[in-house]
Amino acid sequence: MSEDLVVEDLHAGYGDARVLHGVRFTVRQGEVCAILGPNGAGKTTLLRALSGVIRARGTITLGGTSLTGRSPDAVARLGVAHVPEGRGTFMPLTVEENLRLGAYVRRGPSVEEDLERIHTYFPVLKKRLKQAAGSLSGGEQQMLALGRALMLRPRVLLLDEPSLGLAPLVTRELFRIVQAINTEERTTVVVVEQNAHLALGIAQQAHVLETGRIVLSGTAAEIRADEQVAQSYLGYRV
Amino acid sequence: MSTTKAKVERPASVRKGGGRFDWRWAGLAALLAAAVYAPFQLVPFHVFQLTMVLVYAVALLGLNLLVGHAGQISLGHGAFFAIGAYTCAILLDRFDLPYPLTLPLAAAVAFVLGLALGVPAMRLRGLYLALVTLAIAIFLVPLLKRFEELTGGSMGLTLAKPTPPAWSGLAEDQWLYFLTLAVAVAAFLLAASLLRSRVGRALHALRDNEIAAEVMGVRLSFYKTLAFAWSAMFAGAAGCVYTWVIGFVSPDSFTVNLSITLLAGLVVGGLGSLSGPVLGGLFVMFVPSISQDINDAAPGVIFGLLIIAVMYVAPTGLAGLAGRLIKKIPRKE
Amino acid sequence: MAAFLQQVVEGLGAGAIYASLALALVLIYQFTGIVNFAQGELAMFSTYIAWQCVAAGMPFWLALVVTLAVSFAGGMLIERIIIRPVEGAPELTIVIVTVGLFIFVNAAAGWIWTFLIKDFPNPFPGGALEAAGISVNFSTLGVLGVVALVMGLLYLLFQYTKIGLGMRAVAANPASARLVGIRVGRTLALGWGLAATVGAVSGVLVAPLLFLEPNMMGGVLIYAFAAATLGGFDSPLGAVVGGLVVGVAETLAGAYVGFIGSDLKVGVPLVIILGVLLLRPQGLFGRAAVERA
Repeated sequence: MSEDLVVEDLHAGYGDARVLHGVRFTVRQGEVCAILGPNGAGKTTLLRALSGVIRARGTITLGGTSLTGRSPDAVARLGVAHVPEGRGTFMPLTVEENLRLGAYVRRGPSVEEDLERIHTYFPVLKKRLKQAAGSLSGGEQQMLALGRALMLRPRVLLLDEPSLGLAPLVTRELFRIVQAINTEERTTVVVVEQNAHLALGIAQQAHVLETGRIVLSGTAAEIRADEQVAQSYLGYRV
Repeated sequence: MSTTKAKVERPASVRKGGGRFDWRWAGLAALLAAAVYAPFQLVPFHVFQLTMVLVYAVALLGLNLLVGHAGQISLGHGAFFAIGAYTCAILLDRFDLPYPLTLPLAAAVAFVLGLALGVPAMRLRGLYLALVTLAIAIFLVPLLKRFEELTGGSMGLTLAKPTPPAWSGLAEDQWLYFLTLAVAVAAFLLAASLLRSRVGRALHALRDNEIAAEVMGVRLSFYKTLAFAWSAMFAGAAGCVYTWVIGFVSPDSFTVNLSITLLAGLVVGGLGSLSGPVLGGLFVMFVPSISQDINDAAPGVIFGLLIIAVMYVAPTGLAGLAGRLIKKIPRKE
Repeated sequence: MAAFLQQVVEGLGAGAIYASLALALVLIYQFTGIVNFAQGELAMFSTYIAWQCVAAGMPFWLALVVTLAVSFAGGMLIERIIIRPVEGAPELTIVIVTVGLFIFVNAAAGWIWTFLIKDFPNPFPGGALEAAGISVNFSTLGVLGVVALVMGLLYLLFQYTKIGLGMRAVAANPASARLVGIRVGRTLALGWGLAATVGAVSGVLVAPLLFLEPNMMGGVLIYAFAAATLGGFDSPLGAVVGGLVVGVAETLAGAYVGFIGSDLKVGVPLVIILGVLLLRPQGLFGRAAVERA
């Protein structure tokens, strides 16, 4: 049974403000899909619609199961982990508690195993397990958010601007880990990024979103090669 | 709501050469005519009840400035009502002042106290203002009992009511009614003009979005404090008239229940509208007097349920609901 | 010195009761940012349920268990029915709704049980413990013990259970809590249920000291507000410490400040609330400034 994430004719917005106008794309199981585009294109809105944070019209299915109209907690229970804008850290709670919350909808001893596994991806977190999460640096909090999402053993990982506010070196390390997670856990990843270069570096497929519509789709290599796209959306010259 | 609506509509009718008939003013005129006519048709007890409606309406006009227009919560407005009532009573009892003079003095005392309490209280967000005002209302009762030589302690003070002048040919209840009506009309006009002024606009900006208002240069604490002081002044004036009408003050008339009932009446009558306080006054007066026959607790049950219901279905209260219905009528033509 | 310590002990006894109601207030504030003005009245209503059970012939401790269970269910129901529809509404609206609930519950108790005062059984033995010239009533010890027990149980719940972890997550970041799969609505209802239960404890503790009547908790509520303000509205520990401090301050002020005496003691919470809000608005144990946008 295929575990593809299929999005068709997706409309969503906030109150009267319509942001997404009929978005359609498919992410094949185990692939990394990059959503690119300028500020205000609707990238964050798209992720919010996928995880049920905002109401959406259209169809979203994961392995044949419909996600549309479900509440965020229900979507999470179906195995979609959303690392939101701002990282969603539970500041006053400890690092370990943050990680355990990631596995909130799961039971059993495997949670302890997963904690160990998270430590191999993020050795920096292991040293700070008992520390309040709010005391971590921005990069560490982003690692924590990724770790929290992994604790769900997600079928799909939704990442909203993981590079935001981080130093280039930290960002690169972060993307390296995302790629490792993707290859080792076979987790499907949808990553929204301003930094197209980094995102395309780990993605197989990419879509360019502009004013709520997908204006260009292709393999990461195709998108990267398209000179016009590079200039108008990705902000760099080839 | 209705005030902003009026603001929008009036220039339009002026532009059309005043060809449209303003139903709002006609309604007010008819209401005033009825109010003048009523005491000659009713038995004294009912005249007294109407008088009390007006007294409460004056207090609610003030509370409405604070809650309905500035969006701040007071659970202790009965305290300012009590301060006005006691100021009046003490001036009459101790200084034998002619009663008309007690009104401006009582209002001034309440205003100054409102200002003094408003300065610290208004640095607080709405929620904490509710706590502080509630604490004040609870504290006032033992305080009034303590200063026995001045306030008469638990026994309170009994005073002569204003007697009607011979030229008027009115009975005592009618005279008290007209005095109260005059104060109420003056208070109504004052509140209306306050709200039309720059201050009113600042208050609305505050209620709708504190942060945006501050960015726009509205001096938050200044206007909040002012709104608090004014609302205290209206409550003080109402308390003063209360003393005229009842001729008796005692601490137990001004418990925290009075404060809560006032807020309840205002919410049910309609927050943020000019007619809300009058409707609220009717509620504060008649819900208890009618429902008490069923059970001592019936007024509370009714008020409690009404408040919750109003907040769900019509946050602008009965006045807002009526306004919405009236607006719908021409649309159906 | 012994007389002074005696006053302190009595203040602690009163303070423990304020602490338990403040704890209930804090529980709800933490999860929802709502200060529940009806908390005291809910506690009063619970106490009547206990009274009714005892009057029907139930042993006291069984009546207490029944009362706590009913209060828990009642708190959850109130969240579902009364509070849920105004969730996310302006603070003014929510405060007014809880004031409406205050008026309604108060009157409903008066309707069902009349406004006549009722005797409430004291679960603790009479007599006192004498030591070093101080006598401590068994009932004071009992009150302190019960509040310590409640505090301990809450601590265990929050710190060592999954539900408790979920509740803390909701308090810290509701949006993110939803994303990890926590049913936030259910957690909020749970918070109200817990608060009503803790409040019921305070009502049952205070009833033997005062008389049981519908306005019994009105005075206690203002002390609980002072306690929660002093401790910080988002800190359960703060609520307890605040309650004890307020109790002691009130008793000492009444005993040693001639002007205050026993009748003006109710000014103490007013002074404490004003003082804390002006000097340290987040309270002693509060995390951030109380401004919640």
